[in-house]
Amino acid sequence: MFRYIVKRLGQTLLVLFCVSVFSFFLIRMAPGNPAVMMLPDGASEEAIQEMEVRLGLDQPLYVQYFKYITGVLKGDLGTSTAYRTDVAQIIAQRLPNTLALTAVTVVAGCLFAIPLGIIAGSHKGTAVDFFTMLFALLGQSMSPVWLAVLNVFVFGVWLGWLSTMGTGSVAHYVLPVATLAYPMAAQIARIGRSGMIDTLQEDYITATYAKGIRRFTVNWKYAFKNALVPIVTLVGMQTGAFIAGTIIVETVFSWPGIGQLLNLSVGNRDYALVQSVLLVSAAFFAVINLIVDIINSLIDPRINLR
Amino acid sequence: METLLSIKELGVVYHTERSKVYAVNGLSLEIAKGESLGLVGETGAGKTTTALAALNLLPKSAERSGDILYEGKSVFHMRERELLKLRGGEIAMIFQNPLTALNPVFTVGEQIEMVLRAHGGGKNRQIRERAGELLETVGIPRYRLKDYPGQFSGGMRQRVGIAAALASSPKLLIADEPTTALDVTIQAQILELMKELQLRSNMSLLMITHNLGIISELCQHVAVMYAGTIIEYGEVAKVFKNPLHPYTIGLLGALPKLDGPRSRLTAIPGRIADPQNLPPGCPFHPRCERCQEECQSKTPGLAAIEEKHFVSCHLYTKEVRP
Amino acid sequence: MGKDVLRKRMQSSPFFVVGLSVAFVIVVSVIFLPFFTGYSPTANSLTSTFQKPDWLSHGLSGHILGTDELGRDIFTRLLYGGRYSLFIAAVVVLLQVFLGTSPGILAGYFGGILDTIVMRLCDIVLAIPNLILAIAIMAVVGVNMTNLIFVLTFAGWVDCCKVTRNNVLVIKNREFVHASVVLGASHGHIMFTQILPNVTTHIIILASQRFGFTILLEAALSFLNLGIQPPVPSWGNMIAGGRSFMTIYPWLVFAPGIALMLCVLAFNFLGDGLRDVLDPKRN
Repeated sequence: MFRYIVKRLGQTLLVLFCVSVFSFFLIRMAPGNPAVMMLPDGASEEAIQEMEVRLGLDQPLYVQYFKYITGVLKGDLGTSTAYRTDVAQIIAQRLPNTLALTAVTVVAGCLFAIPLGIIAGSHKGTAVDFFTMLFALLGQSMSPVWLAVLNVFVFGVWLGWLSTMGTGSVAHYVLPVATLAYPMAAQIARIGRSGMIDTLQEDYITATYAKGIRRFTVNWKYAFKNALVPIVTLVGMQTGAFIAGTIIVETVFSWPGIGQLLNLSVGNRDYALVQSVLLVSAAFFAVINLIVDIINSLIDPRINLR
Repeated sequence: METLLSIKELGVVYHTERSKVYAVNGLSLEIAKGESLGLVGETGAGKTTTALAALNLLPKSAERSGDILYEGKSVFHMRERELLKLRGGEIAMIFQNPLTALNPVFTVGEQIEMVLRAHGGGKNRQIRERAGELLETVGIPRYRLKDYPGQFSGGMRQRVGIAAALASSPKLLIADEPTTALDVTIQAQILELMKELQLRSNMSLLMITHNLGIISELCQHVAVMYAGTIIEYGEVAKVFKNPLHPYTIGLLGALPKLDGPRSRLTAIPGRIADPQNLPPGCPFHPRCERCQEECQSKTPGLAAIEEKHFVSCHLYTKEVRP
Repeated sequence: MGKDVLRKRMQSSPFFVVGLSVAFVIVVSVIFLPFFTGYSPTANSLTSTFQKPDWLSHGLSGHILGTDELGRDIFTRLLYGGRYSLFIAAVVVLLQVFLGTSPGILAGYFGGILDTIVMRLCDIVLAIPNLILAIAIMAVVGVNMTNLIFVLTFAGWVDCCKVTRNNVLVIKNREFVHASVVLGASHGHIMFTQILPNVTTHIIILASQRFGFTILLEAALSFLNLGIQPPVPSWGNMIAGGRSFMTIYPWLVFAPGIALMLCVLAFNFLGDGLRDVLDPKRN
């Protein structure tokens, strides 16, 4: 177990290193001179050169990368050209909002979708199963863009029940969470269903029935655990990609989080911020993947025996 | 002797996308208390289907006819609660492939304990204690209760399967080719273990196999199955010494003998009857060297030839032995 | 698998039948109907802004779904938007299949260092969520159609690669492949005549599922103004543009929203049905 975790940790660090290199060079490819963007319009050639030296842009790329990555390790993500403040500070300020939204979404999605998937999978071919599949396919086909706008229209404008802007109260969570959770729940229900169908065909399930175990117990205690591995993997992937998920929703519902920040930064050509959001999101993805692998190896002992 | 399980004219048809599969066709069989009966047949003869039918565990898509009585009660008409008691409690089953018959994500301890909890119950500590005992009975040290199936070899897993089957002291043990998936040396150990346990506990045994050696080792009676029906039945000694049905003769002829004069091994020509497309009349007739006109149209019934020796073949019912 | 079995399965899968029919209608509509509507998708007509939908009361010549803030016919814009979306999705999925399958087969077949490198490369691309990767690259390389196709392809080839590689790993160890090796077949021969045909089913299923996903991703980028640029219509940027007028003129967002949903739904139904129909495990 310990060796497995160390091995996965090593892989994670390697991937993160590559992501940092990738994002560094990607941003260096961006049009425009960062030094010019830091200065007011019409700055003199000398001032630009001075700024380039100050930003280290006169040095070779690998030196620049080395400086950048040592800074990142110390918690220095650079300076935002648009906000003219520390990038790390801006992110630290907005991250909790996105995390809160994600946590509520994941919990709500799982509580609803996992039981649904298990029930559908263990009642294959029934009406429950059909409607679950319909629900799931509809959810997968719902563009977050359209779903968000539809929610604003129906509940915010038409019925006027819920606030559609900003953050603060519990009521503010309802629409963003619903918008984020539906496509997620659809996928979870689906994978839970197919995992359950596959499991129930296994010999060991017939063997469990042959031991006189009740159908309810077979489904919810024994087969459930087998079907859980793909579910946990999927939930992990979706949680890990949460910043991507929230871009649209935060933009539509004016939720002051990382997703909205990324969208604004792209518009502002604030490359230091874009680069950092890329890195932060990759880091979260990696950490959550690591946690998922550990949970899965606890559920299914075969995983770390491999 | 008192009858424990009685299968009456069992028929099972699976419906697939392409066709109907006639897995079992009018099979009748009785197992007495304390008796051990061998059920022999090639792969695809319907052995496993028969076993699952005895526990009422056939998939919903299977269409069944006839009946199976356990202590005089119809298994097919039992209520859910009676069935739960029957499965694992009265009739236990050992599966063919020990690699797939244990749930990989639960410890072997849990897989034995779930039988104990379902049949009898008791305090957790007692159950754990009993599971340890059972594991030791099959020759595995007690501390391995918390290991997962993946940490055991095939033979060891089959021992776990046997321990779980014996947990509730069933009256009938159905062993569905318990050694087919194992190495020859391990097979011998497992058989030795089963023989010992059966003698000790006086339970009935239905040993399903295609290995005639196992039958002569373990069983008093043998039923030979072909295309989902019994074609010969009797005491092991009688059937093996004096096989009547051409198929049984063929099966025995396909076995090498260690003693006596060397003779050429004979193989049965042709292939096992296709359950999707059964021949009319006697299902064995296309492969039978002594096939007659009657065999191609009329299905023979099981008839007594001598005491405790039955055969279903037109050659004997009409006394036309050459 | 026989043809009759395939046909039987197709007919008995409601998802497949519905998906195929709706997808067919959508594809035919976006290709041919623009020739009949008689409006330009981009020309403004400031005398006829925010007209209510005529539905079919004037036949194809009316503003079937009304007009937008610049007086453009929404139905026409929907059809042109659909053309772009479907065209982009088709190109992107084909590229993904090609770019993903080739390294997938090579990595799975040869294994070793090549496999490690390809899989680590996949891990790196996977480590940054699809939409974020697409947004960052679009922001840097600039917004145009070629870049959009490149970005969407880049974000999704990994799935094809991993699925193919995992399937190849399984098939590589089957007896018929060993038999070919023993008989002295070349690597290329084994890969193309023995292994490739056995992974095509999985690739077809995956591609059909990626199609809907690509349409959604393109819509999200267009909504964020990083995809298809106005005045060229796309369902994503039509929703974005109509959002400000939603309270009074809801059809501005409902038309593209419903079109987007129906289209993706049809292709997802089709993909799902296809999976059922082609399922090699099913019997």
